[in-house]
Amino acid sequence: MDLKTLFLPLDVSQKNDEFIAMESKSFAKDVWQRFCRNRRALFGFVLLSCIVLLAVFGAMASPYTYDGQDTAIRNLPPHAQHWFGTDKFGRDIFTRVLYGVRMSLLIGFVSTAVNFLVGLVYGGVAGYCGGYADMLMMRVCDILYAIPAMLYIILIMLIFGSHVGSILIGICLSGWVGVARIVRAQVLSLKEREYALAAYVLGSSRRRIFFKHLLANSMGALLVTVTLMIPQAIFMEAFLSFIGIGISAPMASLGTLAQDAKTYFQVYPTQILFPIGMICLIIFSLSFISKGLEEAFDPRNRR
Amino acid sequence: MAAPILEVAHLCKYFDAGRAVSGETKKLKAVEDVSFAISPGETMGLVGESGCGKSTLGRTIVRIHDPTAGRILYKGEDITRRKNKHLLPVRRSMQMIFQDPYASLDPRCTVGDILAEPMAIHRLYTKRERASRVQALLETVGLKPDHIRRYPHEFSGGQRQRISIARTLALDPEFIVCDEPISALDVSIQAQIINLLERIQDERGLSYLFIAHDLGMVRHISHKIGVMYLGHMMEYGQTADVYDNPYHPYTKALLSAVPVPDPKTARAKQRIVLKGEVFTPIDPPACCLFANRCPHVMARCRRTEPPVCHVAGRRVACHLYTPDFLALRRNGENPIFTDPPDWRADIPV
Ligand SMILES: Nc1ncnc2c1ncn2[C@@H]1O[C@H](COP(=O)(O)OP(=O)(O)OP(=O)(O)O)[C@@H](O)[C@H]1O
Ligand SMILES: [Mg+2]
Repeated sequence: MDLKTLFLPLDVSQKNDEFIAMESKSFAKDVWQRFCRNRRALFGFVLLSCIVLLAVFGAMASPYTYDGQDTAIRNLPPHAQHWFGTDKFGRDIFTRVLYGVRMSLLIGFVSTAVNFLVGLVYGGVAGYCGGYADMLMMRVCDILYAIPAMLYIILIMLIFGSHVGSILIGICLSGWVGVARIVRAQVLSLKEREYALAAYVLGSSRRRIFFKHLLANSMGALLVTVTLMIPQAIFMEAFLSFIGIGISAPMASLGTLAQDAKTYFQVYPTQILFPIGMICLIIFSLSFISKGLEEAFDPRNRR
Repeated sequence: MAAPILEVAHLCKYFDAGRAVSGETKKLKAVEDVSFAISPGETMGLVGESGCGKSTLGRTIVRIHDPTAGRILYKGEDITRRKNKHLLPVRRSMQMIFQDPYASLDPRCTVGDILAEPMAIHRLYTKRERASRVQALLETVGLKPDHIRRYPHEFSGGQRQRISIARTLALDPEFIVCDEPISALDVSIQAQIINLLERIQDERGLSYLFIAHDLGMVRHISHKIGVMYLGHMMEYGQTADVYDNPYHPYTKALLSAVPVPDPKTARAKQRIVLKGEVFTPIDPPACCLFANRCPHVMARCRRTEPPVCHVAGRRVACHLYTPDFLALRRNGENPIFTDPPDWRADIPV
């Protein structure tokens, strides 16, 4: 091309300095796209979805029930009719594992949802009010945190009996403290941001600033912790059941299944392998998701 | 002259700065005994070095901070102690533009949301009217209508500052505190923003409190100027007067540091270089806070706080301008003080 014409000034009408070339994306969409581009996170997400679907619908489709006993087929190894084999009462382990996953996921999600909501409100109020209210509220947290959780979970199990409800109460009693601390820290740092001050000067009420600006902006950090709390709760339940004070027979949870199979571990190792493998898969997938979310929310990863 | 739109009298803002060993709480005196008034359509410039309390003063006026003492009168109404929920009508007409265009817009809101928010807060207009007003606002500040669905991170600093300005204009304010609106921008964009602010002022008769570092820009934009040092208003007067003949030694030093475009005058000009440590604003001593850096320091500067002296339509907080000292100097008696060569000329009469 002719160099002379290349360097001729353009007409003013062709000046376009306000033009923005990047495609417009909402923040949530942006995060989602980055999450999907992360292969590990996507793998975790797909895996967890499969497990959830299997737990919800698989158990329904199964021809066996979780407590249906058949002494003729005790301790079978895995084969075509009973994919995971049968246990010492002749119950189908595949069905029982599905029920166990259901129980574990239920406890994981419900306790996390409760902890999340309570922690959100508590931490938000403490952070936003500041001063003495904040000091008092955080000391309450410290005290709750200082008592070993195992201690009162065992007490609650003794008083209310060992079923799902008491495990949930036990996990939720102090589980929200972690969320509350994070929310408080976020709110404390965000409320001095200039956009929060600007909203205040415009006449926003504190409630509006909290919900519209502060909460939306701390969601990223929160989601990451929350996805990590689910495996914690699942693990707690499995542990309680494994030491024999959690969900009791004939109900199935992954912990009780492992506990049942423990005694025959050397003779029938497959019986303990399946429930433990399931716990591992769930926890793996959730950790992958959490890590992926963390990376997706980090604004430095915006391309 | 018309009644002032904003009047600030003896305003103080102290922050808690922890406890001393003795158990007394220490006070950080960010703003100490500041008074001034701004008339409708007027711009007051506020200058001073970093950390002298300019932002704190601005934020106290718009009641982000609660004043420690003093009074703030807005359109004749005392808003010093008014509760936040009763401030709503005042908030409609008193706005603030923040320094950092990257921090002052919520990254999760689109430009449309940001500009409509003030109207939503005050429950003004219908949805459709809001949308058309947002378009008008974008046009006023020179942005494109299709920017409405964009997010703040998609804009440059100058564009964001224009969005901030548009947001403050959404409520048709009469008074805006501009807290260093241009110091985060590069020079060519600074001029754009200043021109925009001036144009809006001409069109709408706005008043500004314009906080800045750049003395040249302040001279250009403001009618009055206040010079702050460690929370105190050292000198306050009409911009032209202060720039042509600064009274306070601190103002002299500040102005001597302004670059001059003409090399001849620049060479003739002497820079006053300040030496000495700056006092801390935490529990400052009860003397002139500029004493340890002042080239004209006298014994009494280290003993007592200077009174605010009214000299030739200006206010100066300096012992050199107390009535008794001025009288001494006019009589040619001056036991302690040795005049610098150019000093004679500017004894105020
Ligand atoms: N919220 C606060 N709490 C405690 N101290 C504060 C607070 N805000 C400001 N300060 C202190 O008040 C003093 C004045 O700060 P301010 O931000 O008003 O200075 P400034 O003149 O605006 O400085 P700059 O030109 O750098 O913006 C500083 O010493 C600062 O540390
Ligand atoms: Mg400042």
